[in-house]
Amino acid sequence: MKRSFLTAAMAASLVVSAGAVPVAAQDALEGDLTLWHTYSSGAGTELDALNAVLANVAAANPGLNVEVLEVPFGDVFNKWQLEVASGEGPDLMIVPNDSLGQLTRDGLIADITDMVPAEALAELSQLSIDGSSVDGRLMQVPESLKAVAMYYNKDKVATPPATTDELLAAVEGGLKLGLLQGIYHNFGFAGAFGGSLMDADGKCTADAGGFAEALQFLADLKAAGAVIDPSYDNMANGLKDGTYDAIIDGPWAAGGYAAAVPNLGVAAMPAGPAGPSLPFAGVDGWLINPNGNMELAVKAALAMTSAENQKIFADTAFHIPANTTIAIDDPISAQFATAVAEGFPRPQSAQFGAFWGPFGDALNKVLDGGMAPADAIAEACVAMNAANGF
Amino acid sequence: MSAPALPAPRPAPPAPRRPRLGRDWKTALLFLAPAFIVMGVITFFPLAFQTYISFTEFTIKYIRPGADPAPWVGLQNYEKILSNNLGIPNFFFVRQVIYNVWWAVSNVAIHVVLGVAIALLLNVKGLRFKRFWRALYILPVVIPPIIVATVWRNMFDTQHGAVNQILAGVGSLFRIPAEAFRIDWMRQSSEVFPFLPDDVSYFIPLAFFALLAANTWLGWPLNAVVATGALQSIPGELYEAAEMDGAGPWQRFRNVTLVYLRPAMIPYAIYGFVVTFNLFHLAYFMSAGGPFGRTEQLVTQAFRLVNEQRLYGVAAAFSVFMFFILLAITLVTNRAAKATASFEG
Repeated sequence: MKRSFLTAAMAASLVVSAGAVPVAAQDALEGDLTLWHTYSSGAGTELDALNAVLANVAAANPGLNVEVLEVPFGDVFNKWQLEVASGEGPDLMIVPNDSLGQLTRDGLIADITDMVPAEALAELSQLSIDGSSVDGRLMQVPESLKAVAMYYNKDKVATPPATTDELLAAVEGGLKLGLLQGIYHNFGFAGAFGGSLMDADGKCTADAGGFAEALQFLADLKAAGAVIDPSYDNMANGLKDGTYDAIIDGPWAAGGYAAAVPNLGVAAMPAGPAGPSLPFAGVDGWLINPNGNMELAVKAALAMTSAENQKIFADTAFHIPANTTIAIDDPISAQFATAVAEGFPRPQSAQFGAFWGPFGDALNKVLDGGMAPADAIAEACVAMNAANGF
Repeated sequence: MSAPALPAPRPAPPAPRRPRLGRDWKTALLFLAPAFIVMGVITFFPLAFQTYISFTEFTIKYIRPGADPAPWVGLQNYEKILSNNLGIPNFFFVRQVIYNVWWAVSNVAIHVVLGVAIALLLNVKGLRFKRFWRALYILPVVIPPIIVATVWRNMFDTQHGAVNQILAGVGSLFRIPAEAFRIDWMRQSSEVFPFLPDDVSYFIPLAFFALLAANTWLGWPLNAVVATGALQSIPGELYEAAEMDGAGPWQRFRNVTLVYLRPAMIPYAIYGFVVTFNLFHLAYFMSAGGPFGRTEQLVTQAFRLVNEQRLYGVAAAFSVFMFFILLAITLVTNRAAKATASFEG
C-alpha cells in the first residue's frame, strides 16, 4: 500500500508526543527514496512510531521524497531477494536480522562499513553492531534489539514463575499457558537446560545435552495442560481475550498486548537447572539495496535512527533502542532489554541456516509425533551436519 | 455357343496425390508465426532453460543481471532428489510419487462413482426441482480454490472447527465427552488403521481423509454433470427393448447405462486424474503437506523448493521428473481410453 509522504506526515502529527524533536540534519538530504516496512503486521504502534519519525526526517529534509510501502512480514524477505536479485527493489527496508548472513552471501544487501561514520556507531551497543555485521562488515544500520520473554496477566498471575520447575508446577496447578509451537520462540529453554547448538566450526553439538531436556520440558508442559499451538494468531489472541494467563512472545507485539490486557506484566523466560534461558537476541536494522541510491539511503537510515527518533520508537512501540544513551522508562521495555542483554546473539553463519528445518521438525516430532526427544535431537543434528557438509 | 464376354475391368482408381504446398503456404506460415513466437517465449524457451538449469547449482545469486553462469553439476541434482539428500526434513521422493498417484486414483474413483450415482438420481422421472439441484451442485466449482481450502481448513480446526463440533454433538447423544472429539486432523501422525502394515498406513494419515473430504465436495459435481449429459443421450427404446427381453434393473444398468456412460466418463476421469494429480491448493493451504510431509504432493514440493528453499536448480530437476511421470501417466491413460473407445466395434 503506497502512502503519500504528506499523508504520513499528517498522520504522524496526531501521535507525535510533545517531547519529540525533529532531527536536525547537518546536511539536508535531497532526492528520492523508496522504503519498505512490515510494521502493520504487528500491533500497530510501530507504524505510528515510523510515521512520527518520517515526519521528523521530512521536517529536517524538505528536499527528501520518501515513498513508503508496507509489505507483509511473511513476504518481505522473498520479495526483497527476488527484486534485488533482478536489479530492482526499494532503496532500503527495516527488518530483523533474520537473514542478514544469507543476504550478505548472496550479494543482496550493501556493505555499508565505509559509509557509516564512526561517530554514528559510537553510541550504539556492541550487541547491536555485532548483530548487524557479517564477518566484521557492517551490513545494516542498527535500529533496535529484541528477544522473547514471558508476557503475563498480573490480575491472574501474582508472581510469574522464575524457573522451569515453577512454571511446570504452575501449569499443573491451573495456570493457562499458551506457547507457540515454533523453534524460535522456545529456543531459550535449550540454554536453560545447558544446551549448546554448535561449535566454533558450525558443527551441531545439540545432541550433547540440553536440547533434548528442553523438548522433554515442553512435552511435559503440554501434558500438564499448556496449549502449544502452531498458530501465532491463536497464541496472541489468546492472551488478549483471556484464554491464556501467560505466553512467550517478543516486544514487537507489546503494543497490542498492552492495549488489550490492562495489567500486563513481562518477565524473563524461566531459568532452568543449568542457568537462565537464552532466547535469541536479534537486531532490527535498515538494509540497504546495492542497486539503489546507497549513499542517500544510508544517510536517511542514520537520520531515522538518531537518538531522538529511537526515543520515539522506544516510547511509542516498546522498542529496545540500539542507542545506549536512551533511557528505557517503561517497565515492559526494561524487561525486554534485560532479556536481550542475557540472550543468545543470533548467529549469521551459513551453518546456522541449516538449523531451522531439522530442529523445527524435531520439535514437531516430539510434540505431535510422540518421538523421544533425544532421538529427535540426534536426528536433527545429523540432518544439520549433513546439510553443512560435516 | 460362345461364352459371354467378360465385362471390361474397371480402371484402377488414381493413386492419391501427395499434397503439395500451395501458393499460399507463405501466408499460412505468416499467420502461424505469432502463435509460434508466443509459444516459443512462454513455453518452449522456459522448458529448455529449465532443463538447462536442472544440471546446474542455480541459486538466487545467479539471477542478477551480469552474474556469472551457475556452476555445472551434471546429474547431481537428480541424484540428490532420488537419494532424498536435499537437506529438507521429511523429504522422501519415491514416497511422494506413490502418495501422489494414490491421491489421484482414490479421488477420481470416488468422484466418478459418486457423480454417476447422483446423476442417476437426478435422472429419475418425476423428480422435482431438477434444474435447481443441478445448478446447486455446480457451486463448489465456481468458488475460488483458496477460499475452498481456507474454509475447509477452518472446518477441520482442532478447537473451533465445524467437523469436530458436529462429531461432539453426535457423541453427546451417546454420552461421549466433547474432549474426545478434539481431533487434530492436520497434524495427527498416529495411524488411523493400526492393523495395517506401516508401509500402507504411511499413505493414509488422518489429514489424507480431511483432504479427501474437501476434494470430494469439490470433484463430484462436474462428474455428475458429465454423467447427466451422457444419460440423457441414451435412447429410451433401449431400455424398453431390454425390459421386453426380461432384463432386470441391474442388467439394464450394466448392459445399457454403463455402456453409454463409459465413452463420456472415461475421458473425463482421465482429465480428472491429471487435475487431481497436480492439485495444489488443498495440500498447500489445508495440510501444508503434513503431518511430516506425508500429504506433500510433487507440485507443492516443487513450489517449496523454489519459494522457500531457493534451490532453483534442484527445483528444475524436480520438475523434469514430474514431467516424465505425468507423461507416463498420460500415455497409459490414453491407451486405456483407446481400448475402451473400440469396445463398440
